[in-house]
Formats: sequence, C-alpha cells, structure tokens
Amino acid sequence: MDYSAIYPEIILALFAIVIPAVGMVMKDSKFLAAVSLAGIGLSMLAVLMHFYEGFGPAVFDNGLLVLDAFSGLFMMIFLAVAFVVILASGRFIEGEKHAPEYYCLILLATVGMMLVAASTDLFVLFVGIEVTSVSSYALVAFRKKDIKGTEAAVKYFIFGGLSSAFTLFGISLIYGITGTTSFEGIGAAVGTLDEFQEIIWLALVMVIVGFGFKVAMVPFHAWAPDVYDGAPSTITAMLAAGSKKMGFVAMFKFFLIGMIAIKADWDIVIAIVAILTMTVGNLAALNQTSIKRMLAYSSIAQAGYILIALPVATEFALTGGIFHIMTHAFMKGGAFIIVATLAVAAVGEKIADYKGLAKRSNFMAFSMTILLFSLAGIPPLAGFASKVVLFSSPIQGSVAGTEWLVWLAVAGIINSAISLYYYARVVKYMYVDELEENAPVERLKIPRSMAAAVAICVIATIGIGLFPDYFIQLCRDAAQALFA
Amino acid sequence: MLENIPILSLLLLFPLIGAVITFLLGKNPKAAKLSALIFSAIPLVLSLVMLIDYVQTGGGYQFKESFTWIDALGIQYILGVDGISVPMVFLSTLLVFLAIIFSWDIEHRTNQYMALMLVLELGVLGVFMALDYFVFYIFWEIVLIPMYFLIGVWGGPRRSYAAIKFFIYTHVASLVMLLGIFALYFEAASVNGYYSFGMETINAVSPFFAESFQVIVFGALFFGFAVKMPMFPFHTWLPDAHVEAPTAGSVLLAGLLLKMGAYGIIRVALPALPTGANEWQWIMITMALLSIVYGAVMCLAQKDLKKMVAYSSISHMGIVLLGFATFTELGIAAGVFQMFAHGLITAVLFMICGVVQHKTGTRNIPRLGGLAAKMPYAATFMMIGFLASLGLPGMVGFVAEFGVFTATYDAFGWLLLIPIISVAITAAYYIWAMQRTIFGPLTKEVDIEHLHDVCWYEALPLAVLSGLIVMFGMFPALVMDYIRPALGTVVSLLGGI
Repeated sequence: MDYSAIYPEIILALFAIVIPAVGMVMKDSKFLAAVSLAGIGLSMLAVLMHFYEGFGPAVFDNGLLVLDAFSGLFMMIFLAVAFVVILASGRFIEGEKHAPEYYCLILLATVGMMLVAASTDLFVLFVGIEVTSVSSYALVAFRKKDIKGTEAAVKYFIFGGLSSAFTLFGISLIYGITGTTSFEGIGAAVGTLDEFQEIIWLALVMVIVGFGFKVAMVPFHAWAPDVYDGAPSTITAMLAAGSKKMGFVAMFKFFLIGMIAIKADWDIVIAIVAILTMTVGNLAALNQTSIKRMLAYSSIAQAGYILIALPVATEFALTGGIFHIMTHAFMKGGAFIIVATLAVAAVGEKIADYKGLAKRSNFMAFSMTILLFSLAGIPPLAGFASKVVLFSSPIQGSVAGTEWLVWLAVAGIINSAISLYYYARVVKYMYVDELEENAPVERLKIPRSMAAAVAICVIATIGIGLFPDYFIQLCRDAAQALFA
Repeated sequence: MLENIPILSLLLLFPLIGAVITFLLGKNPKAAKLSALIFSAIPLVLSLVMLIDYVQTGGGYQFKESFTWIDALGIQYILGVDGISVPMVFLSTLLVFLAIIFSWDIEHRTNQYMALMLVLELGVLGVFMALDYFVFYIFWEIVLIPMYFLIGVWGGPRRSYAAIKFFIYTHVASLVMLLGIFALYFEAASVNGYYSFGMETINAVSPFFAESFQVIVFGALFFGFAVKMPMFPFHTWLPDAHVEAPTAGSVLLAGLLLKMGAYGIIRVALPALPTGANEWQWIMITMALLSIVYGAVMCLAQKDLKKMVAYSSISHMGIVLLGFATFTELGIAAGVFQMFAHGLITAVLFMICGVVQHKTGTRNIPRLGGLAAKMPYAATFMMIGFLASLGLPGMVGFVAEFGVFTATYDAFGWLLLIPIISVAITAAYYIWAMQRTIFGPLTKEVDIEHLHDVCWYEALPLAVLSGLIVMFGMFPALVMDYIRPALGTVVSLLGGI
C-alpha cells in the first residue's frame, strides 16, 4: 500500500483529533486557529511535495484513493478555503464556548472533501461526503442560542439526510446492475449493457437528486438560502466555497467517468437543469434585502454555470468547470468573509446596512467591489477569465448533432448580464449612496486577521484574472487526469 | 526615431500610473488635480509624437507590439494602430486632457474623480489600439466601470438610476458581442488548426466563412456596437446617462465612448464578416436613417439644453453609420472623419451646457435668455459649437457630413433626401435654441448682478476645441490623409469602390 497518496488527509485528520485535546488546556480561539492553520499548511505542503518530487499519480489500497493532478488540485482548493475560513475565524468566534470543536469540525469537513476529491470508488466518495456533511450540520448550529442558526441546521440536516438516502439508493442500484463500485468499472460495464436501461435511469435519477441537493441545483435548492443565511458567516463561506464544490467533484467523477458511455441519455436533462439553476438563482437574487441571502442565490446561479461542464463533457469544458470552481471559491468565500468581518465590526447583514460603507472602511468596500465585479464577470478579474473558458466551451463543443449546446452559452451570458444588476446594486450602496445627514461616520475597526483573509481572496481574484495562463494549465492537467 | 520605444504601451502605462498616484493623493485635492493634469498631458504628447511618426502611406498596422499573455487560450497582448485608430487615439488623449482641465472646480472626492478619468482614458485607448479580440473586449469592459462611478457619484439628482441603467444596457450588449467573438475564435481555429484571438489571424480567414455563420455572428457583433453608438431603437440609455453625468463625464461619454461603438463596426464587424455585412446592409441603413431623423426630431422637443445635445449625438452618430453602410471608400472615410469631428464638436456643446448650468443654475431653455449680453464669451463658444454641429461650411462637421451625403447619393440615389431633410431640422433646432438662450430678453435667472462669464479653466478647453474645429474644417486633409489609405482592405472585402 502506498500511504503517500493519503499523507495530506492523514496529517489533517491528526490535527483534527489533536485540537480538542489542546483545547482542554488552551481555550483561546486565536491560538487554536493558529494550530489549525499549521495543520492546513502541513497538509498543503504534503500535496505540493508529492508533485514537486515529480511522482506520478499515487494509488492507495488497490485504487480506492488516488492522488493525481485532479485530486491534488481540488485538495489545494479545499485546503485554501479552509485556510482563509480559519484565518478569519480566530477573531470571529472569539469568546465562544466551543472553539476547539469548531476548529476540529472544520478540519474534519475538509478531510471529507479531500477524500471525495481523491476517491475512485462510489462508496469511498459517499463516505467522504458524509464526513463533510455531518461536520457541517454541527457547524451550522454552532451558535446554539441563535434561533436562526439552529433552524437552519435542522433544515440542513433533514435535507442532507434525504439527499444521502437518495444517493445511497442510487449507488446500490448501480452496484446491482454493474457489480462494481469503482468508477472505471462502472464506466466499462455501463458501456456494454443495454437490457437494463430502465433501471439505469432510475439509478441516474436517484443520484442526480442526491447530488443535486448537495450542489443546490434547481429544483433542490430551497434549503440553501435559509442555511447560508442562518449559519455563522465564516461557515457559510466554507459551505459555499468548499462543501458545495465537493458536490461538483462527485458529479464530475460520477457522470464523466461512470456514465460517459450513456451521455446521450442524461446530457439534455442536466443542460436544462443547468439553465434553470442559473436563471432561478439570478432572478431570486434580484430583490433580496439580506446580503447573505443575495450571495446564497448568487451561489445557486454560479452552480448553474459550473453545471455547463457536464453536458458539454469535453476536456475544455471540464477545464472551464474546474477553473470556475477555483475562482468562485475565492470570490464567494471572500465575499462571505467580508460579511463576517463587518458583522464583527457591528455592521448589519442587510444590504441597506452597507450604505456609505466606502466612507467607513475603504478597504472592505474596495474588496467587496472587486469580488462582486469578479462574480459578475467583469474583466480583467478572475471570474471573467473562468467564465470565458466555461462559456466558450459549449460553442466549441457544438458539433453536428449537438448544436443545441450553444444555448448553454447563450443562457450563461444572458444570466451574467442579469446578475450584474444585483452585484452593482451593492456597489452602489457602498459608494454612490450617501449616508443620512445625521448618521455617524466613524471608521470601522477591522480585525487584522480577518482583513488578511479578505486580502488573500482579493489578491487571488486579481492575480488569477491578470495571469490566468498558469491556472488554466493546472485545470487542464486536472481535466486530463480525470479523463485519462 | 521610435523604433525601440513601445509608444503604444507607454500610452496605456502613463494613465495607469497616473490613476494610482492621483488616487493616493486623497489628502491634497490640489496635488491630485496637478498629478492628473500631468499624467494626461504625457499621453497627449505621446500621441502627437505618434501622429508625426506614423507613415501615412505605409498601410497596415504600425508601432506594433505583441507578447504572449495567456498561452493556453491563444491570447496575445497585441497593440497596433492604423489610419483609423490614429485619429481616435489623438482625440482620446486630447479630450481627457481638456476634460481634466475643465473639471478644475471639482471639490467632492477630487482624487477619486481624477483617477477615474485616467482609468477611463486607459480603457478607451486600449480599445482603439488592441489587435487581439480578447484584449479588445477587456478594455471595452474596463471603460464601463469608471463611467459608472463618474455618473453615479458626481452626477445629477437621478444619478444612481442613470448609472445603473448605463452599466446594464451596455454590459448586456457587450456580452452578446462576446458570444460573437467566441464564435469567430472557434470557427477560425477549426480552419487554422490552432487557437488564437488575434484580430489579424482571425480576420485573415473569417471573410471566407459560410454565409449563414457570417449573418448570425455579424448580428451579434453589430448588436454590441449599435447599443454603444447608440442607434435607434437601442438608444434609451443615452439621454438618461448624459443628463445625469457630470459635465466632463458627458464630454467623454459622447466624445469617446460612443466612438467605441462606431470603431468596433469598422475595425471588427465589417472586415471580419463582409458577407454577413452585405446581408445586414439594409438594416444598417434603416437604423442609421431612423437615428438621424429620430434624434433630430427629439431635439426639437427638448427643453433641457443638455438633453437636446444628447439627442443630437444620436442623430450625428447615425451619420457615421450611414457612411459605413454605403460600403464605399468615400462613405467610410467620411464616417470615420465624422467620428473625429463629432468628438470635437460634442465636447464643446457639453462643456457649454456645463458652463450655463454652473453659472445660471439652470439648463432649461425657456428660463434662459439674453446670455449674450451677460456672458459674451460663453455665448460665442455656444454659437461656434452650434454652428459647427449643424454643419456650417468651413467647420469640421460640414466636411464629414458632405462626404457621407455624397457617398450616400452615389450609392443609393434619392434616399439621400431623408438625411438632407434632417439636416434642415438640425439647423432649425440649433438656431431656435440659440434664439431662445443667447438672444432675446433677459430672464430672471440670467438677469442677476454678478453673473460671471467663463472662468479660465472653462475658457481654455473651449478655445482649444473651437480652434481645432475651424482648423480641421479648413484643412480636412490633415486627418483624411491618415484615414483614406487605411481603408483599402475593408473596402475591397465589402466589394465596394
């Protein structure tokens, strides 16, 4: 057995176990955050070392888990998300009673996401999803006195449990049909079967519903705004930037390896769902008054964009999907962390509370502007670069027989145009609208660690936007590794 | 003498550096103004050097620079100018410089205002110089952001509505254009065998694409450009944006941003997809004529001086499109010349609106009267602007309109009557407006003790522009000699004469 394939997960899991023990002696949130950050750093180092030494894909336990360009890239994305979330959390949850558990659960959730990224087998994938989900249920309810938070957690738990049940049912059907749970085995078996068509469809529907809940795909999206709104903002950042993206990894693996042979049976369904998801998300975001709900609906819309990669199913499209997941992690993660930061500085979570923000904290207003414009796809920011790859892929992929794919690009572009309205509205509140005459204009006190977390996201957004070449290459390597 | 100096990149670099430095001078408004002035003067000088150094008969793109930027997608940072872009680059550097002088009295967030003007200059210059579709699009979109804030923060009472309307309208149009660019990119790649966003690479093969492809993609590109110009019926963002924008914002909006739309048609849509353009010719002509007539008639109905000038822009940009739609060398050359001429004239018009508003507190035509008695200099500049805009011979507007009309007659015969009639309407609304504002009895807004005439920072840009309007009106060859040699390729692609 080649344990080097799972060093990153092992390191992170060890830290997750150690932190509650450390918490017995040192309850200081900042100290625990520092320990967690060290763990994430080491885990990142393990991923990087693996590729730095030029190892090929490392396989663990006869191919249950693999560390290759695809899983490596996603591990780095998930670890980066955990890094900024924890960096911001040091101050955000200061003085709360259960700080050690909080960090432990975030690290465990990240381990789950990494397992999903590395899995080559449906069951391992499922276990990874569960590890993440169970940790996040608890994290959403972290402030147990907060009614909104606990309500959100209950909702999240019920929907999550239902989604797991659907997924598991689908997996069991697939196992029954193909006799295997490894993606490659499923892919090979599905390619040769034809008499079990109906049951395959049933299995497909089950899995689509199950994963659909996870990525908040329309019509299974109803939980997302409530949960994102109710959860502590740092946790919302992790849900939107990390655990939701884990759902996409699962979908990529399931559809593009396992079900690619019968693509003609599901591609139009996913395409319609993708268009619905982006449209519903954007339209619902238009008249939100809470910034978190607005960002939650925007997340749903962005999920719709990422789904474009599935029906197109070319290497270029997958590159675009992965690239957009990467940029979205920084944009949306950063935006939610700004909400968290401002909450610490006693600014409300209504969009109207952001009125005149530019005067009260120039850095926060500027960062939010950059992140929102990037989400809207304004060049030369990261969101534009990834949308270019993603939206151009259906045009490239529309060959004879699949000309209809072009409509995915058209829908994406129209939706980007709609989305500009609600992003620009926040910018308008921050910069254009003046405060009322007698409102106090004191400068906000922004905790330095939280500002640093925001700065990382902003720098990544601008940097990837200006120099996308290297990142596109990384995503393309990852896409190639998945298709190999 | 400039073989080794990347003059085009420097043209982009100085506004960028200037924007950052000016922004950082938040504590000291005076220093911010000076820094903006200096950093807009340097590009002006550079563009003059470029004008002198450009070889008019050389043809093709000159001062070319190219670097690989995003290799994975075949995106290169390519800059270059030809006879169409050179006058536009000069116009941009000139107008931004003069607009900054004109804004000398801005007190509210001076550093941000000036920095945004320089960012705007960066974007506009980038559009006029980019030779890679991707880079072109990026600069195209960058322009929106400073203009959004200029309208939104320093604008009139309904500024936040106008700003967001401007942003969304033109952004939607840009996205449709982007779809068209994607289609060109992949179709060209399937012919060439490699991916490239380079304009020259794509335009070398795109004229031979299938007709059905060309018709659709031309439609997408043309839509993007027509909204920006703006052509009837996609013009509705323009009056709102203009009325609410601060004066310098209006000057740059009408003087430069509208030109981007026209420039896109002549640089991108026509040469890339000539067959598609042929199919769209009558739609282009119809839209051009509708814009010319509609703009002029709307002007007659306006009570707000600035709104009148805004509608006149729609009418005059219609003349540009009409020139292009003739597909003849004379028509296209005169259309490009009209872009240049309109840039100069409309700047004067909007500045004078700003002066009147500033001094009397109103732009409402019925409430003004007898300005000539109280503000002789302002009234003189206003007359120069109005007369130039209505096409008085000897001024720059006349040359352009005469050229377009000649080409229109050659190409379509008596269809010319429609734009000719609208010229009469144009003369009518300008002279009528002049009568009511400059002459006639003093109204209570004008008849006040201490009504000042133009100040130095208003008079200087107005005087420079008025001088140029007359100079280029007398010697149009100064600009035409750049434009005409550059049109050979596009005219032959369009099958014109």
